[in-house]
Amino acid sequence: MMRDSNAYAVASRDIVFESFDGEAVVLNLANGKYFGFSDSGSRVWQALSSGVDAQALIGLTAGGSTIAAAELDHFISQLLDLGLLARLEATAQPLPGELPAELAATSEPLHVSIHDDLADLIIVDPIHEVEEPLGWPAVKQAS
Amino acid sequence: MPRVTLETLPDYARYLITTAESAAKDYPATRKVQLPRLELTAHVGPGVLADALGHAFVEAAQDQRESLACRIFILHPGIAGIPEPARWGDAHFTEHGFAERLAEAGLRGHYFHDLDFWQVYDPQSRTGVQLMASADAFPPWEPTAPLRAFLHWEYAARSMRLTHAGTLGANGKGMLLAGAGGAGKSGTVAAGLLNGLDSVGDDYVLIDLAGGVTARPLFSTLKQDPRGFARLGLKQRLSNESPLNWQGKHTFHIADIAPRPVPAALDIVALVVPHISGGETSSIVPMSRRDAMIALAPSGIMQMPGERESGFRFFGDLTRLLPSYRLSLGTHPEEIAGTIADFLTRVAS
Repeated sequence: MMRDSNAYAVASRDIVFESFDGEAVVLNLANGKYFGFSDSGSRVWQALSSGVDAQALIGLTAGGSTIAAAELDHFISQLLDLGLLARLEATAQPLPGELPAELAATSEPLHVSIHDDLADLIIVDPIHEVEEPLGWPAVKQAS
Repeated sequence: MPRVTLETLPDYARYLITTAESAAKDYPATRKVQLPRLELTAHVGPGVLADALGHAFVEAAQDQRESLACRIFILHPGIAGIPEPARWGDAHFTEHGFAERLAEAGLRGHYFHDLDFWQVYDPQSRTGVQLMASADAFPPWEPTAPLRAFLHWEYAARSMRLTHAGTLGANGKGMLLAGAGGAGKSGTVAAGLLNGLDSVGDDYVLIDLAGGVTARPLFSTLKQDPRGFARLGLKQRLSNESPLNWQGKHTFHIADIAPRPVPAALDIVALVVPHISGGETSSIVPMSRRDAMIALAPSGIMQMPGERESGFRFFGDLTRLLPSYRLSLGTHPEEIAGTIADFLTRVAS
């Protein structure tokens, strides 16, 4: 996967994110899904989403161990599958100078968690949110 | 019955506003409500919604600076000159796409399919329309927090925000209680009010980030499921027990159980995420801002139509301005309130 392209970008303008004490929270505005990143995941997300060369991250220290190619591949696959990242047909950006030290200071492995609380919200107050890409009238079912 | 598509949506929204304004003389009643920095005038026929406008709000003081006026027309075809509501005519509907299309035209709106219930708002002229198929064809949650979508749009345009959170406070300092339904917000607010604390709301409050984090009251309604109602002793305390609402909950008002009048504002000093721990005693410990944001923002953004990105940014700013804590709820209302009162004294000092 990473062999085809080493550069990525935020998948669409519906993907927005904020950082809290170095930990990222990402929201997909289109479907309301939230994503919380571990400390190392937050820094890798921020690097990848700003076009930093994925290959340059391999071998760096993060979360108490070394980022392996397979681990990074898996993480990037997740971000692609979740619709957060898209491959970029452009030259990747070089590794920012401060990133290795920031990654080395992290304590958690690469991880992204999904928060899909809409089902609960529909029970609380059922505004009609619908499954993408089916759209109305395929109302998202509370599970 | 006309059908509206994404393409014709802005035209239909403008048409509703123009039609409402031209029929203004035919409205049976007008209700004025003074809210923080906003005088809301609602043109409405008699019935449940008119009654709700009379008792669901905490009214603000009259002489406020920066107060602006908005007008909301609550319409149905029983009023002369008002047409049947249109139906959605595209196969595809998403809340986000609908709101984006209107936003491109400078408008705000929401459509509830089951009832062909339309709400559109022009933030420039501060004019809104709520069009229903009949006088009582509104969603069941509407009387609890009437016209809240319009308030959401109006305040968002002024960099304030309706926030889905409970509040408790003492001596003007307060906490925001955030989290999804069932986390214990409402029970905590009621426990606090019954034991001497103040609140400016347990469901939706108005947050302003100018000069710190300030919470102001909008709606006076409190809710409790029958178990919480019994546990808090409300069955004995409230003589007029109302029928259960659409969620199977008792509804009552802050003034029914508050120790003193609702304060005009609370200076918020902490963002607190409650959870029911099952333990005997309560505790409050720091939590990460990331987790607090995830507890606060989703319901505040997804329960309100439109303004999703601005909401995400707003709640991000709010979260960064406050220390975040997890509140493990004990089982005794007095003990919970005492823990919160001690915490507020400590954090505010």
